Amino acid sequence: MKNSKVVWTILLFACCSAIAMAQEKWLVPEANNDMLSILIFDEDTQLEGKLIYTRSCRSCHGDPTKKDFTIMSPSPGDVASDLYQDQTDGSLFYKIQKGRGPMPSFENAFSEEEIWSLVSYIRSFNPEYQQKLPNLEGIEIPNLTLHISYDENIDKLVVKVTSDSLEVMADASVKAYIQGMFGKYPLGSEMTNELGIAYFHIDSKIPGDTEGYLDILVKTYKDYGTAKYAGKIQAGNPTIRKSAIEGRHLWSAAKKAPIWMIIIFNMMGIGIWGVIIYVIFGLRKFKKLS
Amino acid sequence: MESLKKKDLALIELELLSHVNWSRKSVIWLGTLVFLFAICIYFYFQQLKHGLGVTGLNDYVSWGIYISNFVFFVAASLIGMLISSIMGLIGVKWILPISRIAEIIALSFAMVAGLIIITDMGRPDRLHHLFIYGRIQSPIVWDITVVITYVVLSFLLLYLPLIPDMILCKDKCSQIPPFQRKMYKILSLGWTNTTGQYQLMKRFMKILMVLIIPVALAIHTVTSWLFALTLRAGWDSAIFGPYFVSGAFVAGSAAVIIAMFFYRNSFKLKDYITHVHFDKMGKLLVMVALVYVYFNINEIIVPAYKLKGGEAEHLKSMLAGSDSIMFWTVQLGGLIIPFALLVIKRMRRPLPLTIISVIILVAAWFKRYLIVVPIQEHPYYPIQNVPEELMHYSPTIAEIAITAGPFILLLIIITVLSKLFPVIPIWEIKENLEHEK
Repeated sequence: MKNSKVVWTILLFACCSAIAMAQEKWLVPEANNDMLSILIFDEDTQLEGKLIYTRSCRSCHGDPTKKDFTIMSPSPGDVASDLYQDQTDGSLFYKIQKGRGPMPSFENAFSEEEIWSLVSYIRSFNPEYQQKLPNLEGIEIPNLTLHISYDENIDKLVVKVTSDSLEVMADASVKAYIQGMFGKYPLGSEMTNELGIAYFHIDSKIPGDTEGYLDILVKTYKDYGTAKYAGKIQAGNPTIRKSAIEGRHLWSAAKKAPIWMIIIFNMMGIGIWGVIIYVIFGLRKFKKLS
Repeated sequence: MESLKKKDLALIELELLSHVNWSRKSVIWLGTLVFLFAICIYFYFQQLKHGLGVTGLNDYVSWGIYISNFVFFVAASLIGMLISSIMGLIGVKWILPISRIAEIIALSFAMVAGLIIITDMGRPDRLHHLFIYGRIQSPIVWDITVVITYVVLSFLLLYLPLIPDMILCKDKCSQIPPFQRKMYKILSLGWTNTTGQYQLMKRFMKILMVLIIPVALAIHTVTSWLFALTLRAGWDSAIFGPYFVSGAFVAGSAAVIIAMFFYRNSFKLKDYITHVHFDKMGKLLVMVALVYVYFNINEIIVPAYKLKGGEAEHLKSMLAGSDSIMFWTVQLGGLIIPFALLVIKRMRRPLPLTIISVIILVAAWFKRYLIVVPIQEHPYYPIQNVPEELMHYSPTIAEIAITAGPFILLLIIITVLSKLFPVIPIWEIKENLEHEK
């Protein structure tokens, strides 16, 4: 009896490992495996990737490098681990796009660009990583120019992408950010329309400088051609900074004590001390009454 | 009062004036006190010279036994208001012989309380800055104002009914030096016992007795606000005002009972301060202790049920942690058990009542320590890399000596006052007896 239990246990274990082993192997077609990113990975693609990761991947894969992924079979694993970093960019792209088993397919959820930014984010945990770029020989890379304006009637940032010769660039990818003190606030990611224009909504409540100016950063990408714009537009809410010690407050200097407090304090003081002084002066009457 | 009815008024005067002299015993007693006080002054000079570094105070626990002591002294001084004003205005007759004792206690404690704050100052030479640069938004300025006001009011309430007795002292006391006689003459402001003078004095007394009630409540409420107006967990409490005031009556009543006992025995006042007075003071103590127990329950159970944040840390150490021995000793030994004992009539006789009062008074001091110090050992959260020694406080010898100083000074003031003036208002006793006849 005892022996048969042991045998059964070993068998069960073997089966489980076999399933797990089978799960390990996730073959990526060769063409996909060698695919290269259409984006050049930089801080902005990493930021975009991080936002997507936090929203859609973190619940299973956990915080990269912390190995706090969800325990399930097959294990989601930590994206910063060698398991991931040893794969090609194309392989990561393929797996995110297609999915398998508990790993969902994100083909319909994310654009190709978004998946590449995810790859960019995953790669940011690998200090040895160097992006492989496609052979660009024979490909004409367009020179892009950005024209930025702000339409205050519709609260929209208007970005027009043209070539050097002002030829309209349709289907160019445009990303816009508001530059903050410690980071960027993404306004979104759009493709230009047939007029070469992309619109980004800016909430007019966003605090700007004293005159309402915001630091805007716009990037565009098309066929390996890129352009960047950094400048100020008057699209935010003017921030009027008040000194914390201006006016009369509990924390102000003695001279700027709140009026109500001065009145109450002095009224009480004068009231009580008035009576005390009245009594003290009244003591002189004792002599008169003798 | 019954026993007094049989006595001749002249005899009453004689008995009540008998302690107004500088007997050998009293001079030795005063000399000892002055000597002990000089030792405390020596330690205070050490502190002046080397700064507050001679104390156990540190960055985190910056209020130690000086401030606990200050709170205790302010607390004990409140009893003058309860006994001589509220009881007097209501017309409680039995309180008459001990009303001046209560006033002496109140004035002495209040006077010394003001000085204790100065001992907690690193630069007492800059005391005047408080008046020049003080911000009226600060509770410390309110406290200073109200303490000074209370001292002046207590002084007037002690002084006014003393005037007729001072004339008596001037005329009838034989064993006093001439300068003292002269002092009585000046201080009695030409008093000649006319009806008009009495009427005027009673009018002034009534005004002051009414006025001192809000001021006395304010003095201890503002003292509690020094703590409660901060955001520190454990002090940030809306009932701190009444909690302090009710605690003050417990400490003050105990102090008055102890004073009664010593005056009764050493000044031979057994016919004046009788068993009845002890019995009634015992009952009063039970009543104020009940109120205080009620506030204690509120102050502890409400946050202990919720156990939020820093408050939880503080309460745990108080109820079951490092401060729990002191806490439970004070609460049970200094409040609950004495209160339960005082319900028994036999325990309200002079000696047992005095012993219980001493225990209550000592516990009251430690209670102030528990309110002030342990909270600071759990500073604002979050904290990082705090050296271990900053998280604990233990007073140094110098600090203990400087804290003992105010007690000795208090005894000196009480002794001098009760050697200069009769501790029982003679004219009021006489007036009362004549009225009853």
